[in-house]
Amino acid sequence: MADITSEASERSSRQVWRTAIGAAVALAIILTAPFYLDTYMTNVLIRALFLGVLALTVDLVWGYAGILTFGQSAFFGIGAYACALVFTHWGFGPGWAIAALLIGVLVAALTAWLVGLLSFYHGASPLYSSIMTLALPIVLVQIIFAGGRFTGSSSGLSGFPTYYWSIDTWFIIAGVLLVLVASVAWLFVRSDYGRILVAIRENEDRCAYLGIPVSRIKTGLFVACGAVGAIAGFGYAAFTNVVAPELGGFLLGTESLIWVALGGRGTLIGPILGAIGIDVTSSYLSGSLPFLWKFIVGVAFVVVIIVLPNGFASLATSGWRRYRMRGVEAGDVRHGPGITLVSTSGRRADAVDPTVAPIRIDGLTCRYGSLTVLDGITVEGRAGQLLSIVGPNGAGKTTLMRCISNGTERTGGQVAVAGHEIGRNSPQKIVGLGVGRSFQNTSLFDSLTVGDCLRLARFRIDGARSFVRSGTVALPEPALEILKATGLDQQLGLESRYLSHGMKRGLELAMVLATEPRVLLLDEPTAGLTKPERTAIGHVLTRLVAEYGLCVFLIEHDLDFVREISDRIVVLHQGKLLLDGTVDEVVSSDLVKAVYAGQDLEAAS
Amino acid sequence: MATLFLDILTTASMLFIVAAGLMIILGVMKLINFAHGAFLTVGGYAVHVVTDAGYNAWLTIPAAAAVGFLLGVVVERLVVRPLYSRPLDAILATWGLGIVIAQVIVFIFGREVQFAASPISGTAELLATTYSAWRLILVGAAVILGVLLTALLYLTRFGLNARAVIMNEDLARGLGIDSVRVRAMTFGLGAALACAAGALITPLLSVDPNMGLPWLVNSFMLVLVSGVAIPGLALASLLLGGAQVLVSTFVSPIIGGITIVVLAAVILRIKPQGLSRG
Repeated sequence: MADITSEASERSSRQVWRTAIGAAVALAIILTAPFYLDTYMTNVLIRALFLGVLALTVDLVWGYAGILTFGQSAFFGIGAYACALVFTHWGFGPGWAIAALLIGVLVAALTAWLVGLLSFYHGASPLYSSIMTLALPIVLVQIIFAGGRFTGSSSGLSGFPTYYWSIDTWFIIAGVLLVLVASVAWLFVRSDYGRILVAIRENEDRCAYLGIPVSRIKTGLFVACGAVGAIAGFGYAAFTNVVAPELGGFLLGTESLIWVALGGRGTLIGPILGAIGIDVTSSYLSGSLPFLWKFIVGVAFVVVIIVLPNGFASLATSGWRRYRMRGVEAGDVRHGPGITLVSTSGRRADAVDPTVAPIRIDGLTCRYGSLTVLDGITVEGRAGQLLSIVGPNGAGKTTLMRCISNGTERTGGQVAVAGHEIGRNSPQKIVGLGVGRSFQNTSLFDSLTVGDCLRLARFRIDGARSFVRSGTVALPEPALEILKATGLDQQLGLESRYLSHGMKRGLELAMVLATEPRVLLLDEPTAGLTKPERTAIGHVLTRLVAEYGLCVFLIEHDLDFVREISDRIVVLHQGKLLLDGTVDEVVSSDLVKAVYAGQDLEAAS
Repeated sequence: MATLFLDILTTASMLFIVAAGLMIILGVMKLINFAHGAFLTVGGYAVHVVTDAGYNAWLTIPAAAAVGFLLGVVVERLVVRPLYSRPLDAILATWGLGIVIAQVIVFIFGREVQFAASPISGTAELLATTYSAWRLILVGAAVILGVLLTALLYLTRFGLNARAVIMNEDLARGLGIDSVRVRAMTFGLGAALACAAGALITPLLSVDPNMGLPWLVNSFMLVLVSGVAIPGLALASLLLGGAQVLVSTFVSPIIGGITIVVLAAVILRIKPQGLSRG
């Protein structure tokens, strides 16, 4: 145990060192740059460096977390106007400067929080958050227009007192800010938390069903990036001594998307180079070829989006990857020195009252318009019992799972997990109550490794470290057993897209078990598996029930398999609960035979 | 009072006309065309070219539609087709396309405002007020457009194919519908509608390289609020356009400018599917 943690901390400290060295090199370049740059170039670069910080925040929000934002410029504008308004109307001095910066950051963070609150909720389409980020700069610019003399309306504010430091000083300030933000971002995106952002981008829904508070994480990221954007805007305004509504406008927002897209979303260096490169070049060309330059950028943007979705940086990174993979078979790539699995210490902290049923469903109804999919289902799941749900296609089995695991799905009735009503709660809250759900189709996170997937599943219980990559994942015994049974514990460094179907199924089950559920909802966990794999999973399931006292709901079509492992069977037909009894009762029932044979119920009974 | 009523009606009509092309493309292709603003601008320049050459000003509208259709088919092939599986990227690519189109217009015509003749000028007497005649004509145009689009979707073979693609593209393809062709035609139609809309609103605006841009965001919001259906779009245009006129008249024109955006954001939060569904 001790050597594992020391290895992990050694690894993460190596990461910190590497970042520190990179930052030091970048700082050295910045500190010496004024010696060989002319004044005009330095001037242009200072603005570009501040815009580079803005591009970084766009990249974190869009490139890493997958939220297409048109409105990052709004935070830049808020920072800029905080500076201009305070210096123009209230006062100027070190105290006022700090106050203005704080005001800018706070207003931006508050705005971002409100926008996040509105745009990120479970079930929101990715388009909706884009709409909100589109509305934000438009509203901000109109507010500035409405400000009249106070905000300078459409012509903005200029000539306010500011620090007329030498241009080299400003260059160093801007450069240090950019290096600082980039280093923090560098550590962050490589940390456990950074992996979670990627997971959210790849499969947001699945994250929610692992108990990850997706909306809260997105809002938090948005707030942090808004605050950083405001700092950049503040610096920009203090340096240029001019603010105009365009700084907070929709066009700057889209322009920052262009920098990030051309440079390479999902990398950090790409967007910085994109922002600086495009801004500096356009400063030089805007005199001689203003329209042609814009035209070239527009064409490049369209072409890059179509043929090079990850920007120019992807050319470099794929080249690097190819270099590292020389002679290695595709799909045989291991990432990092691997992750060590350890067992969680002890059982669940909250002891379960044995008299309370792990799950009680009462009068559950689900309608889509006039179509009734589930009609008054009442079932109680008991601890240490494997309950199979059978019924023909369209009987409502999967809908039942959906209604248990997402509080907003059902039309009527109650579901209580260990005595707690699920109410209208979102999936991640219900996972918190102790419900784990696996899906009919294997929905995993393609570009994450097996180890990352498992750590993801532990987020709800263990949290994630913001700037460090940890070397261990603590898993409960049953999850470890599955990994061992399927051989996945030898493949922790493999990206999950390269796994075989059977291994994906195993990983999915292990991930669900890693959330330490009381109630396990399994939707056809053995679909598409071979006979031995099926037997192995069946063996694990019976052990889960017998030894760990879980309550398992299993949807299954293979009646022989059901008969082997179930304690109890529930038959659904056309949304109604037809039968609830022991294996023998159900299997010998004529009614069930009739249902599966597709006969009329009246004729059979 | 009568002026206010006419303001609401004509504003709603303009919004409906301008947003129709965007809606057709979103409905069939599940794709947001951010080059819509640039297409409107192209329509405006088509008016300029046609009237500058001395042709009848009424010809501008079919001419703009023809230019738009050709442009749309070419753009679909070059830009949109590779991005069907990446809808958020398609937004960005069409936005970039809008920048390119605007710059091409600048190359050809320069940045300055261009003159365009209007088919009808002056005012008309209606409801005891004098009112801009062209704005009144736009009300008629909106009604005709709504009827024609409905007829196209529900009474023609193309409409049937398009609706099949809307509902279940894989199945439609399985039934032998050439969904690639349907998409190409739809994008052409949407672009034609956008250019024709640009031509229709040109008499009320000045023709410059960015004339379409202010309409883009409002059209986008209206289409989403409409729930992507023709009656929904009419309703959304009336509600939100009406609100915009009322706020501009009684509160402030600046706040009026963001009425549609803010209301749309609120409505979509409450009813994510828009006004037409659920």
